[in-house]
Amino acid sequence: MPAVTVFGLGNILMADDGLGPYVIKVLEAAYVFPPDVEILDAGTPGMELSTILEDSGALIIVDTVRSDGSGGELRTYRRDDVLKHPPAQRITPHDPGLKETLLVLELQGETPPEVFVIGVIPESVDYGVGLTDSVREAVPGAVAEIIAELERLGYPAVPRQPPIDPDIWWERQPGD
Amino acid sequence: MARIVVDPVTRIEGHLRIDVEVNGGTVQKSWASGQMWRGIEVILQGRDPRDAWLFTQRFCGVCTTVHAITSVRAVENALGLEVPMNAQYIRNMILIAHAMHDHIVHFYHLSALDWVDITSALQADPAATSRLAESLSPWPYNSVQSMRATKAKLESIVASGQLGIFANGYWGHPAMKLPPEVNLLAVNHYLQALEYQRKANQIVTILGSKTPNIQNLAVGGVANAINLDNQATLNMTKLYQIKDLLDEVLAFVQQVYIPDILAVGSLYPEWLGYGAGVKNYLAVPDLPLDTAGTQFDLMGGTIMNGDVSTVKPISRFGDEYFRDNVEESIAHSWYDGSDSRHPYDGETVPNYTDFQDDGKYSWVKSPRFAGEPMQVGPLAQILVGYAQGHELTVKWVDTALSELSSRTGVNVGVGHVQSTLGRHAARALRCAIIGDLALKHWGLLIENIGSGDTDIFNPPVFPRGEQRGFGFHEAPRGALSHWVVIENGKIKNYQAVVPTTWNASPRDADGNIGPYEASLLGNPVADSERPLEVIRTIHSFDPCLACAIHTLDVDGNEIAKVRAL
Repeated sequence: MPAVTVFGLGNILMADDGLGPYVIKVLEAAYVFPPDVEILDAGTPGMELSTILEDSGALIIVDTVRSDGSGGELRTYRRDDVLKHPPAQRITPHDPGLKETLLVLELQGETPPEVFVIGVIPESVDYGVGLTDSVREAVPGAVAEIIAELERLGYPAVPRQPPIDPDIWWERQPGD
Repeated sequence: MARIVVDPVTRIEGHLRIDVEVNGGTVQKSWASGQMWRGIEVILQGRDPRDAWLFTQRFCGVCTTVHAITSVRAVENALGLEVPMNAQYIRNMILIAHAMHDHIVHFYHLSALDWVDITSALQADPAATSRLAESLSPWPYNSVQSMRATKAKLESIVASGQLGIFANGYWGHPAMKLPPEVNLLAVNHYLQALEYQRKANQIVTILGSKTPNIQNLAVGGVANAINLDNQATLNMTKLYQIKDLLDEVLAFVQQVYIPDILAVGSLYPEWLGYGAGVKNYLAVPDLPLDTAGTQFDLMGGTIMNGDVSTVKPISRFGDEYFRDNVEESIAHSWYDGSDSRHPYDGETVPNYTDFQDDGKYSWVKSPRFAGEPMQVGPLAQILVGYAQGHELTVKWVDTALSELSSRTGVNVGVGHVQSTLGRHAARALRCAIIGDLALKHWGLLIENIGSGDTDIFNPPVFPRGEQRGFGFHEAPRGALSHWVVIENGKIKNYQAVVPTTWNASPRDADGNIGPYEASLLGNPVADSERPLEVIRTIHSFDPCLACAIHTLDVDGNEIAKVRAL
């Protein structure tokens, strides 16, 4: 079981919603992580998230976030911020998102004690591959927050020497 | 006449909206509307067909593996490419494990609380609950201690004033009828089910390298190198780990999931009478047993008007009866025009008009089979298998029907299964059937490797010119098909006809209503502010409409909006 799991949430086919997976690819290319740290592009899971959450100590999550402000602005949250409002009525299997999964794990007494969310307000969430400029510019800030949190938790990442190009395979143009 | 709109405003932009008109406490008229444009396939145009599955498995965060496998099947069909037996067995086991995970989650975590009242469970006697559970099943984890612990957990949640995951349920609703002990038992099993859905998912992870979004597929086979003595490949240790997990999950399905469904079914017998809706059924064959996909372990076909004697088989990959009869109408959908098109020629040009009861009112197209609306999903699959004498299906269905008959005192037949509760029961039975088949395919894989065959991949070759192909998969929510047109090695057109599109389809050009819409007619609604009965019937289909977006809403504006107009 990893001591820390860093995971990106979001859909790479929905413009800025692909932020989470994008940040994960940038992280993997730029840093080397201690063996107890797992880095994961988690996509847009429903209850499958419980498998990831249950098997980890601290969690660092990067995601788009709905909040007042402009596209590209960064917001950070701790565990209690995420849990303070009740979840919605469940209609489809997508509905048990992060909040609901944490609540279910809490019911089992298995919630990770440390949950840190780095959120970026999206500018566009529509069909299409690729981040808007404002959200792309927020990526270094999001990466810095993750690196700082790993440091705080006692699992510092080391810059990769030499760095490699991030493998954003979904942004490659057909024919590249 | 009162109008009720259930319009969940979740983090997922636009979703399923249900409108019903209620008169005299029953639904008289209904509309199902997808609130988000479905045009994601456009992203695939111009891309390499070998990469399509990597993109399609991002269509939906819950159904990742199903879109991945259907995509490679579509491209293989276009090329006439067969895949090695090992690849078929590995794919089959992934599909089954994913489906078992999905069915368990759907019943316990997404829909059980439509039937189970958390607040009533607080009145239960743990000892009586344990005795009841032990009378229903040999499952070893139904002890008094376990029931007592669950009750204590519930009490502490209620005492905290924060219902947590149980907030926003219809507690104390007049349609909730289970006795306190059955409610407590269900909550206990809700918690136990969390473990078993994870175990099922672990099988997908072992075979697929990663979940969500498996990594081991390829057009032409799989990327799981097989060497029984090598730690880095698919080896005996991993295969036995899979077997152990399968045994555990299957025991849970047989000894918990099915007994629970039968218990709920016998205590809500009226729900074996509501919610039939469209009684035309469509299922596709799955779990191929040969390299070309002509022999299968699950049967496909159609049934019309609820009459099992009308069954017509769909029997192989590339089946013409399926290929030539699917088309999608956009008469009531927010797209340009009003025609019906075959998926090879499908277009997705948006034309939003606002919600018009008699005009366009949904982003979902209306798939039709030979012009008829069709219900898809585990119920369709069970009926199609039963009608064709599929041995495992007949065994499980007959056992369930006789059990329900003896408990309710009513002669429960195949007609009763065509109902809201019948869809839940069919899903549980399907879970047991495919669990048995997973063990069979595990054995077939070992046997095949033992015979010296370690092939996993046949390389695809893309000729110049145009090729068309389609792939299908009997997914957890029903018949899924992908349709691809390839030109000079690039994707020219791509369409996915997904199970929820069949079920949630709006009216078509002839005015035929879709399965969700039809299933709601005649449903009771005791309290229009809390339309639990509408939610029950819609949930029984296991809706999965959107291509998911994940935007976290920390500020909590996520309450499903119910408006009684």
